Amino acid sequence: MPPPLRSASVLSSTPCCANQLCRTTGQSSRPFSTTPRHDQRVTRARRGLFRWLTSQGENFRNPLSGSTNYMGAYDNKSGVLKRVLEAREHKTLERAQKGEKEPEKTGGQSAEENAKTLPPETQRDRVPFPHNKMFISQAVLSEELREEIWSQVMKEGQSVREVSAKLRVEMSRVGAVVRLKEIEKEWKRIGKPLARPYSRAVMSMLPKTPFDPHHIVSHESINDLPVHASTGQQIFHPTSESRRFTRQDAAKVFNKRLLPADDRIPHPELVIQHRERVIDGLNVEERKERAELRAAEAEERREKRAAREAAAEARVQKVEGGRWEFRFTPINTDDAGKDGRGYGGVGWRYGVPLYDRSRGQIKIPKSVA
Amino acid sequence: MSRKRFHGLKRIVPRFRMTWNKYNLYNLSRMTSPNNTGTYFQQKWKAKAATRAYHGEQIREKQWQRMFTSRLNAVVPMDHRYLGEHDGSELAAGRGSGLEKRPEGKPTSHTLTPYMHMTYAPTERRLDVAIFRSLFASSARQARQFVTHGHVTVNGKKMPYPGYLLNPGDMFHVEPESVLFATGQTKDREQVKAGRELKRARRVANTRRAEKRTAKREKALQAIANKKVAEELAAEPTPKAPRPVMTDETEARKQRKADLQELVKQVKAILENKKAPPPAKRKQDLREINREIKGTMSVLNRKPVSEIETSIDALTSRLTNLYPSNPLARVAKIKKSDSKPASEIAGEAQSSTPEYTAEEKKKMREAVVLSRENPVDESKPYATPWAPRPYMSAFAFIPRYLEVNHNICSAVYLRHPVARPGLAEVPTPFSAEQMQLAFNWYLRRR
Repeated sequence: MPPPLRSASVLSSTPCCANQLCRTTGQSSRPFSTTPRHDQRVTRARRGLFRWLTSQGENFRNPLSGSTNYMGAYDNKSGVLKRVLEAREHKTLERAQKGEKEPEKTGGQSAEENAKTLPPETQRDRVPFPHNKMFISQAVLSEELREEIWSQVMKEGQSVREVSAKLRVEMSRVGAVVRLKEIEKEWKRIGKPLARPYSRAVMSMLPKTPFDPHHIVSHESINDLPVHASTGQQIFHPTSESRRFTRQDAAKVFNKRLLPADDRIPHPELVIQHRERVIDGLNVEERKERAELRAAEAEERREKRAAREAAAEARVQKVEGGRWEFRFTPINTDDAGKDGRGYGGVGWRYGVPLYDRSRGQIKIPKSVA
Repeated sequence: MSRKRFHGLKRIVPRFRMTWNKYNLYNLSRMTSPNNTGTYFQQKWKAKAATRAYHGEQIREKQWQRMFTSRLNAVVPMDHRYLGEHDGSELAAGRGSGLEKRPEGKPTSHTLTPYMHMTYAPTERRLDVAIFRSLFASSARQARQFVTHGHVTVNGKKMPYPGYLLNPGDMFHVEPESVLFATGQTKDREQVKAGRELKRARRVANTRRAEKRTAKREKALQAIANKKVAEELAAEPTPKAPRPVMTDETEARKQRKADLQELVKQVKAILENKKAPPPAKRKQDLREINREIKGTMSVLNRKPVSEIETSIDALTSRLTNLYPSNPLARVAKIKKSDSKPASEIAGEAQSSTPEYTAEEKKKMREAVVLSRENPVDESKPYATPWAPRPYMSAFAFIPRYLEVNHNICSAVYLRHPVARPGLAEVPTPFSAEQMQLAFNWYLRRR
């Protein structure tokens, strides 16, 4: 006996408005199937979905021209942009104060008209997830700003640190932008096609930091102090009232080896420059002189370190095998120390047994510094 | 029991996922803040279940538990002017004598650091999640597939492991075609059909062309090889004419030996010519000649000189027969192919452009560039001309720990995500309370 025909599979009663949205309401790939089609079954939940997609959800279908289009920017009930609602309210209030009558409503305003008269977006409108106000879609670098960063670093030969301080972009980001731009230029040079339409579409959906040579807009805070683990504790540290208890001292209290905030921020040179200009009141020449002196010192330090590293490298005798490079370093048997347990000794890193539980071991300190 | 739907509508608390799906968007719009009913354990359980459905749903629970850390990264933006003007002693000065200033009012959301939103920061380090965050894939699962299918490189090397934890400074690159497919609109039925037909036609044409090409190439290679041999033969002085008459027999044998060695060299040169390797049949012949040369060499000192000489002559003639000199064959063909002079083409181009104003021209040029960048191509797996897929704009954001260049579909993982006063860099749809409950769930003592 053939299976009875089920009406659900034959008569699909999706609402007509949802027809375009529902993927499976078109031609069926299995026109003679008698299995109830779960995809097409119209439940209350699905009706709700399609109702939402045709009303409030319609806002998100296409990107909003000239603005971001996040859910946090919309009033969830009416499906209208919050800033548009506010602007309307503001207008009506103004009119009420002036004592004018409200003009006749001209039906539904067209989307284009809306886009033209859209009030500027604020930080509140950049919340993609309405329940999490702590996450906002932060601006990305605009194409012009990226090009500028690249040209300042690669063409004018400025250091990453300078460019970062000038354009208010993190140093790591400056480096990344230059790296990526270089690849982009290389692609252009060899004629590899760029994903231009995609890039254009994405950039139109994102908030951007513009570039204006006369008025630099800060992209992000460049002097971020990472919160150190040892500063997470509250310490009661009694000290005399007369003592000048500075950041340096506070850092020492938290951890003996912790540096003060002045030295842990990415741009300590900005602090020094500001101090010289405002507190010490130095003129331009003096400041320049000092900056040069500092640069020379840094250079000297770098050279010293490089020389030390080169010397250490030269001390290693290298023998090239077919597969391995054998490296021989001179050792001194005395490095192992009197008890043979010194960390300079050979094999120390491969595990020196701990004898602290065996008899006759001295466990109290052997020296007092 | 059948598997639960990925984007289910049925649940009272629908699951929000890492995708750009419209069902997902609807679920986001329906999301409610959790009511604090039930025991603390129940609340934590629910929060954990809801947050894990979004954060690293593709990661096994045990794996995530190993990744979880109670250390949450945060930064405090410092003002260099403040640091320059104060050394910090002003905060401690006057403590206890009434000089200290109390902060006004309660701490607001602008001053508080949302540490709890950083609970799932370790998952953001994963390669698949980073690809999704850079807007290169429409879901974390799709990003994962791109990685496993070998469409992703990290620092220029193929990286097939979606669980690779990016290090600060790592650059990852996804194939632009995959990105366009992931973020572009899907084809409709007719477009799919047209694309399939186009591909089939192309395949047929390609096989035909390949056959023709191989035949042509064979001919060309033959010609090159012939030319080479002819040149070599021409460059070398003919062995018979300039040779002086040998009086000494040992001297004559030495001469023959040199001849034979020269022959071996020639054969070897033909055999090992990488640019125009001889076909298999020709190779067999050449090897045969080689063998005979060696045979002659072995009996060089035993047989009379005249006999050896005749055998050498025979070998040389065979070699020349194999490669008759016709070096001009290819040159004649090349001359035929370039027929149209350049001036003619330029004239055609000029005659076809009617007069336009400068502005119109510029607009037209832009339009041409646009259409060239975004052409109609039925063979692509996405709808062409490319357009972003619907509902993408609601999900389009790029967190600050990534620097993305969409033109080349590459991004750099700058640093680990951090929290700062008033802002958390881990994108999460959940409220602080829910994240706190989830964080407490994963602390070992619960």
